[in-house]
Amino acid sequence: MTSVTIVSLLPELLGNNGDAANARVLAQRARWSGADASIVPVRTRADLPDRVDAVVIGTGTDSDLVAARDILLTMATELREWLTGGVPILAVGTGWELLSWGIELTDSTVEGLGLVPGHAVPRVERATGDLVVASKFGRLIGFENHARDYVGAEASPLGRVESGIGNGSAASGQEGVVMGEFFGTHLHGPVLARNPGLADHLVRLMLDRIGVEYVAGAQSVLVDDIARAARNQIAVRLERAIEA
Amino acid sequence: MRYTPAILIGRGVRVLARWRKPGGGSAVPGLVVNTIAPGFLAHALNGFPQGLVIVSGSSGKSTTTKMLVAALRAHGLTVFTNSSTANIRQGLTSALLERASVTGRVAGDIAVLEMDEGHGAAIAPTLTPRVVALTNVMVDQIDRFHDSDMVAGLLRKIALRSTGVVVINADDAYLADLGGELDSEATGVTVERYGVTSDVLAANPRGLGYTRTAAERLPAGDGLLVTEVSGRSARFALEGVSYPVALPARGTHYAVDAATAVATARAALGSRFDAAVAIEAVGTIPPVFGRGEIVTVNGHEIEFVLVQNPASFQLNVDSLEPSTEQILIAIGSDVRDPSYFWPVDTSSLGHVLIASGSKAHDIALQLVYDDVTVDRIEPDVGVALDAFLALPKPAHGMKTIIFSADGMRRTRAHLGLATNAEEPV
Ligand SMILES: [Zn+2]
Repeated sequence: MTSVTIVSLLPELLGNNGDAANARVLAQRARWSGADASIVPVRTRADLPDRVDAVVIGTGTDSDLVAARDILLTMATELREWLTGGVPILAVGTGWELLSWGIELTDSTVEGLGLVPGHAVPRVERATGDLVVASKFGRLIGFENHARDYVGAEASPLGRVESGIGNGSAASGQEGVVMGEFFGTHLHGPVLARNPGLADHLVRLMLDRIGVEYVAGAQSVLVDDIARAARNQIAVRLERAIEA
Repeated sequence: MRYTPAILIGRGVRVLARWRKPGGGSAVPGLVVNTIAPGFLAHALNGFPQGLVIVSGSSGKSTTTKMLVAALRAHGLTVFTNSSTANIRQGLTSALLERASVTGRVAGDIAVLEMDEGHGAAIAPTLTPRVVALTNVMVDQIDRFHDSDMVAGLLRKIALRSTGVVVINADDAYLADLGGELDSEATGVTVERYGVTSDVLAANPRGLGYTRTAAERLPAGDGLLVTEVSGRSARFALEGVSYPVALPARGTHYAVDAATAVATARAALGSRFDAAVAIEAVGTIPPVFGRGEIVTVNGHEIEFVLVQNPASFQLNVDSLEPSTEQILIAIGSDVRDPSYFWPVDTSSLGHVLIASGSKAHDIALQLVYDDVTVDRIEPDVGVALDAFLALPKPAHGMKTIIFSADGMRRTRAHLGLATNAEEPV
């Protein structure tokens, strides 16, 4: 039987908004398609499994930025190998920022790992609210909660902001960054559960890499009806078109 | 006499509000008084002969406040308290108006207020509490309290207003750091600590729910220690004496709430404090509504479980009787972004009959990803409750309703249970 291993990087330190749950979403969708899937929480380099099929990293608080960055630095080689080797990576909020060139704070800078283009700069006012993004994986709907804009990666966004802030005003209506199989976004929490189009893209990438064709399981279809209703509820509140 | 006109007007408005809506504990009089006499609230709160005690923190405030009030009353004090969770400026002012003399003096020896971290920090600059007690740092209402740094910052702001003692939970790393900061600065404020022993912590494999748990436990003799918890009984160690403690409901968090209350009573009472009297009093409070309370509705026994943050959600899921077969979950508009519930492992629920509330689909989504079967999604809480109550008595466990604060309000309203007009928003 096909078996995949999904790494959840620093699930406590970078798991503020339930972001680590995205690993569970990938694993469950892989299981519903008939594969075996396990989630490995990685808190230090010693926890890294031999095999990695997908990686999820979330957002943390600013007081932990340096601590989280320092742990990630010990895995810089592996992160680079995953990026160049086509391992799908979902990075939310500060986890994404830490893999970029760096994070400008009001009075200092936290240097990032420099693995993905762009960097984070302070916003005047925190962005908190619903975020709607038109993307090639469908309309993505979720919640954003960030104190910084993301600039310097305007060539390859995840999508266009329909409602909300996204990468910020400096980035002309864009949200997120895509580089190869790396996906950075401000859509926090279980963005993959709410937006199965993006989830299935990642599951498909993960299985393609090991030569298995992905066919969404029957359970996925039932669950995705619930996700659509949840998205539509926000669409209605924002006075936007609903999905049939 | 400065506030006499405002008080008289506020009372007039109250009479009118009652006349229009009998039984309504309206916040309107408070709104009126705050508008025409913005200094009244602080003046009244700072005017109690034995001062003001503020209880704040993310979780456990309501229970702790009720326990603390019971402990102080057991020592013979007359206590003004916001017995409903009137965290709101207007609600608090209205409650004070009820008891104020026309000159603005409110009857009572001491005031004990529960304050939510946001509202507390907002009105703190005008207040001079003698004692501030802090329970823990967790993130709830993520759209208001963006992250744990922000919550810790709000609590720090409240703590810095203390003129006498700050009582902190030594097991919460954020609060332990704050205690260290207060100790090292010559503020003239004393820090009193409470906590659990390593054995008590070890008995809770998922921890106590704090965002960050301090690396070390409070050494015996440095404060009040919870040394043992077993069901509804616990033991506290204080100044070398071990005390048996009865809790209003089972669980380590109730023991910690009781410890907070006893440590705070000690800080407030000074030499008049009698540990045995305080400990006996905290065991006598009825369970706070929705915290494991069992209510009989139309002949059905229903257990109500309020979840306010991931930690309380997890704790309540873990402590449900296994194979409870009739569960309704109602998550409402108070949870604007349900993301932060996702760290909770709900898989042990197994089967949920109805997911309800305005966030019904979101909570259902989480449940199904945890392999929990969800029979029905019904956002209308009234419709869901009627269907749930119409079911025959369960063979296993009790009918159990898990709700967020908004789900709770709607449930109470629909079932005609005692309502509480001044819940936090
Ligand atoms: Zn409030």
